[in-house]
Amino acid sequence: MMPNRLEIALKESLLDAEGEGICQKAKNYFGLQLASVRTINVVTIDAGLSDEMLQAVRTEIFTNPVTQISSYTPLDIEFDWCIWVGFRPGVRDNPGSTAVEAIEDLLGFKFGADQAVYTSKRYCIKGKELNAADLDKIAAELLANNIIQQWKIFSGRQWDPAEGIGYILPKVILDHVPTVTTIPVDSDLSLKKISDERNLALNPNDIATIRAYFQDAVTRSARAQVGLGDPTDVELEYISQARSDHCNHNTFRGRYRYHDLATGETEIIDNLFKTCIQAPTLALKAKKPWVISVLWDNAGAGRFDRDHHYVITGETHNSPSNMEAYGGAITGIVGVYRDPLGTGKGSKLVMGSYGYCVAPRDYEGDLKPHLHPRRLLDGVIEGVRDGGNKSGIPTTFGQVLFHPGYLGKCLVFVTAVGIMPAQVNGLPAEDKRTSAGELVIMCGGRVGKDGIHGVTASSEVFSEHTPAGHVQIGDPYTQKKMHDFLLEARDEGLIKFITDNGGGGLSSSVGESALFSNGCHIELEKVPLKYEGLDQWEIWISESQERMTVAIHPDDRNRFFELSRKHAVESTVIGHYTDSGKLHISYTGKTCAFVDLDLLESGFPQWEFEAEWISPEQRGLYEPVLNAPRDYTTLLKDLLGRPNICSTEWITRQYDHEVQGTSVIKPLVGIERDVDSDAAVIRPVLDSDKGLAFAQALLPAYSAIDAFHMSACSIDEAVRRLIAVGTDLDHIGGVDNFCWPSIQYDSIHNPDGKFKAAQLVRACRALRDLCLSYEIPLLSGKDSMYVDGNLAGRFGETHKVSALETLQFSAISVIEDINRCVSMDAKIPGDLLYIVGTTRNELGGSEYYEHLGYIGRNVPQVRPADFIPLYQKMRQAVNRELVASAHGIYRGGLAVHLALVAMGGNLGLKVDLARVPVDQVERNDLLLFSESAGRFIVTVNPAHREAFEDIFKGSDCANVGTVTEQPELFVRGLEQSTILAVPVEDLKTAWQKTFGDLI
Amino acid sequence: MSDVNVLVLTGYGLNCDHETAYAFELAGARAVRVHINSLIDGSANLDNFQILVFIGGFGWGDDHGAGVIQAVRMKTNIGRQLIEFVDKGNLVLGICNGFQALVNLGLLPGLTPNDHRRSVALTFNDCGNFRDQWVTLKVNPASACIFTRGIELAELPVRHGEGKFFADEAMLVELRRNNQVAIQYALPSGEPANGRFPFNPNGSVDDIAGICDATGRIFGLMPHPEGYNHPTNHPDWTRRKEIDRRRGVSRQRDFPVGVRILQNGVEYVRC
Repeated sequence: MMPNRLEIALKESLLDAEGEGICQKAKNYFGLQLASVRTINVVTIDAGLSDEMLQAVRTEIFTNPVTQISSYTPLDIEFDWCIWVGFRPGVRDNPGSTAVEAIEDLLGFKFGADQAVYTSKRYCIKGKELNAADLDKIAAELLANNIIQQWKIFSGRQWDPAEGIGYILPKVILDHVPTVTTIPVDSDLSLKKISDERNLALNPNDIATIRAYFQDAVTRSARAQVGLGDPTDVELEYISQARSDHCNHNTFRGRYRYHDLATGETEIIDNLFKTCIQAPTLALKAKKPWVISVLWDNAGAGRFDRDHHYVITGETHNSPSNMEAYGGAITGIVGVYRDPLGTGKGSKLVMGSYGYCVAPRDYEGDLKPHLHPRRLLDGVIEGVRDGGNKSGIPTTFGQVLFHPGYLGKCLVFVTAVGIMPAQVNGLPAEDKRTSAGELVIMCGGRVGKDGIHGVTASSEVFSEHTPAGHVQIGDPYTQKKMHDFLLEARDEGLIKFITDNGGGGLSSSVGESALFSNGCHIELEKVPLKYEGLDQWEIWISESQERMTVAIHPDDRNRFFELSRKHAVESTVIGHYTDSGKLHISYTGKTCAFVDLDLLESGFPQWEFEAEWISPEQRGLYEPVLNAPRDYTTLLKDLLGRPNICSTEWITRQYDHEVQGTSVIKPLVGIERDVDSDAAVIRPVLDSDKGLAFAQALLPAYSAIDAFHMSACSIDEAVRRLIAVGTDLDHIGGVDNFCWPSIQYDSIHNPDGKFKAAQLVRACRALRDLCLSYEIPLLSGKDSMYVDGNLAGRFGETHKVSALETLQFSAISVIEDINRCVSMDAKIPGDLLYIVGTTRNELGGSEYYEHLGYIGRNVPQVRPADFIPLYQKMRQAVNRELVASAHGIYRGGLAVHLALVAMGGNLGLKVDLARVPVDQVERNDLLLFSESAGRFIVTVNPAHREAFEDIFKGSDCANVGTVTEQPELFVRGLEQSTILAVPVEDLKTAWQKTFGDLI
Repeated sequence: MSDVNVLVLTGYGLNCDHETAYAFELAGARAVRVHINSLIDGSANLDNFQILVFIGGFGWGDDHGAGVIQAVRMKTNIGRQLIEFVDKGNLVLGICNGFQALVNLGLLPGLTPNDHRRSVALTFNDCGNFRDQWVTLKVNPASACIFTRGIELAELPVRHGEGKFFADEAMLVELRRNNQVAIQYALPSGEPANGRFPFNPNGSVDDIAGICDATGRIFGLMPHPEGYNHPTNHPDWTRRKEIDRRRGVSRQRDFPVGVRILQNGVEYVRC
């Protein structure tokens, strides 16, 4: 039976915005002049519909009579060249599956297993000068990614108007009988060999332990009773997933031999996680009653009010995004949203945020990354946009950071915040457990080959051999339905346990939940599949998205499935929990896995690392020899235009940051609503005037000097961002997301591994120290190692590119009364301008030095004993409503942030540098561009002068000028001569021009 | 217990249900969130409601045209009940994705009773992208629209990728003649935007942001009234607060215009 191919296009009279965009990008990216592009949506229906059925779906579903034309024969649209782009087999086709739903609805019948709808696109391109090579470029580098898509290029001459693109059905046909393979464990060598062949990525150190277990007499006799001998592939894949660095955090739990070359001292750090994250957090939990749940669940929980807890977690999705930017990013954001949903008995998502670290957008060097940074960033932005917007969750905060080190592997940080009732059915909502006899249910999407070995792949350095199979495309629509369903089930008290299927798929979600009841029996043949032919081990570890694992009591079965049907969500009982102590998996009655649950707890060797600290002095870093510049106007404009400082409004506006109606402080503020705010504030419980404040910081540049101070400054910046909008220091929760290059020393492949390991140790110590002094329990955190890439150069050689040691720190807090929050923009002429905090000679790693081609050595340092009293005074001043605007001084220093405050209000600032609190800073440029931590710019109503100055009496806070009606940034230097007198408009132009042409 | 009952449709990727229900409760109604399938299987009954709200979101992921598949599902399964609900003189409000659904259902523009053709469209923004920003809206005082009564200018957020209102010239003439163009994008001063981006954020013809049917009882708009349910939703609130305090004006107590739009509907049902 022939499939039917429907082509749909906008009427010629309407603007084809997508086509326009392609023309623009072809011009900007490749300098290619396209006269025009018209896009045709192709819907291929493989369901043997009758002619009248086809007409019905064409007119009722796929064609808008007002704006579109369509036909089951190729549309007659002129072109010089035509490119068809479709998915490869097995890649998630979201519009394809919603098309099936719509057709089933309209025609009232169900699609069979062999029936489907496939969507693809045809681009009709006009441009006389274009040649075949240009078209290859457009197809491969703009329209399609060969990892997930296939394409065909037609010239006007080749085109057969009757035949069109032909019929391409990306149908998965595996034609394979599911088989369980037994793997001999006669020697470590043979097991290592099989591990490599099967891409198991078993850690060599683990192999002996694994063999010992399967050769143990007791184990063997128990296994014999269920018909098993040597381990099966299901079992080894399960162990491999559970032991991967991604799931088990072996690096952070490792043993470090830390040697300081300067002092000659050596010490042993046993387990960074325990000493620097767990210990301080537990100590703080003991003294802070607002800390509800930490260090065990998918996300940490803090008290919001008597009736609600908020939950928060952060993730990264680097390797997949690096391969397929859109797919990787949308899978990342949709994936992290399942964590709060799977926290406690389930939480409603209320907010998300993003952080992107990529190589410069205009990179023109010789190295060849899989995706050019510009294209990679476009894809990542769009992926998080669709994932967040279509989930109905506001994206209220975000940051983008450019550095060549991310050419090897980009970083995509995604953070999720949720809220849960304090109690469900009179029981604490944060508690959950499974019990023998309860049903194991899988909800949401179906299982395919997608994501297999994703976890192990992200625990490896990226190379052209990295399996692309782990690249997926998230489906926010399916997940949103599941989210609504599960929260309704929670509120009816049906959920005993819930967790998400992320890395490791069922193997980790079921494995972890079975620890509570101490056992489970899973019948793998019951797991619904996307297509037949998966091996048992593939079903068990597949990372197919949008799935949750839920435990319910058998008595609740009918009600649970009733709700599942109402919300059009697929749920399946795939087994039950036991107390046998065993993970028992069978397939059509035959056992294919029988492992002791405590195996993973038992004696696997701890990873060991050599760490060698070489101080900046020993590395030959020094302060540059500079004389103060004369032209501050041009210098300031240059700095404002630098990619890591300039406006990225084009990204922010693509994200719905107001859905749910909770927005209080938006990502963009000021009279023209275009300057970035210090933090985001939302009102997650609509009928309460309490708020949640949220902010993040990324300062990898300081790692070039010392990762200790990078870490400390990131934490201080995130905290200051919260203080600036009106947060109380008494309640701040933190999330740490580490992204590090490989720290395993290898004389050839990783010669500076010991130094990178020392940087990690130092960053973790700063985390511990700062969290203890600022009293920030770490509600959640993750680490992603191996941020390295091997890239081809111009002669076919490859280069290893490693990222800067990077920590993204997120801070969250509860605001008692949102009506007292302040924004960063100058408000009213005549207001007094204050600087809070001391400026020091700390320009090491600064934007200013970078701009002049230096690193320097005096990296900014955090001094909690000095800063904390200032932060408490800031809180007092804001809380007493004495402050008209407050803004922290971050990257770029005083000059840049004065400019931002002025731009925000479109007002002028008159500043006298001689009055700025300093510690041995005697030069205008050092004072204007130092990045010392712990500082704020504040504007105050003259009527509140006394009250405000009373609060800060005796501390580093000075009135340095005023807000002026005339929009000009006027700065008098230390020698009392005017060094800056620039119209604010010019500053804003400079700040906006870098990415100004992007929407 | 209020005498005005509002049904807020949920499910299949729609996502403004909580704040829409909350804003209607502020406006004095009793609002219930009901899944589309509960309406279809009869476990919820339209007879108990006087206002039906098609909310914002991404029904069916917006694949194959925003609001299209929701319209197909509802027309196929409960098209008759919807028409009856309207004919009884009840109110229907469509916000963003809901506006797109009403247009695809043919409940708008509804030039004459029982005219349910798809004759206007909401298509891709000219800027080529999803966009979140606040807009100024000019209300047509001559319009029969219930929800905009007594309002001249309104500031509300828009958050969409497919909000460009489009219709052929003949249809536009009709809409103007019947004063069915209820609200238009404007400059902050209230002057027409005349297509100027970003004041007209999507390239809508005639700056059209929302239309009503001939009776004024069915209203669809791209901006989100429920998105302005609290003074602190407004982008300028921190600045306004500072200015007001210097003038000795105390904090804004009356409802934001977003809630007042819904209030108009509630009060219409009441009297």
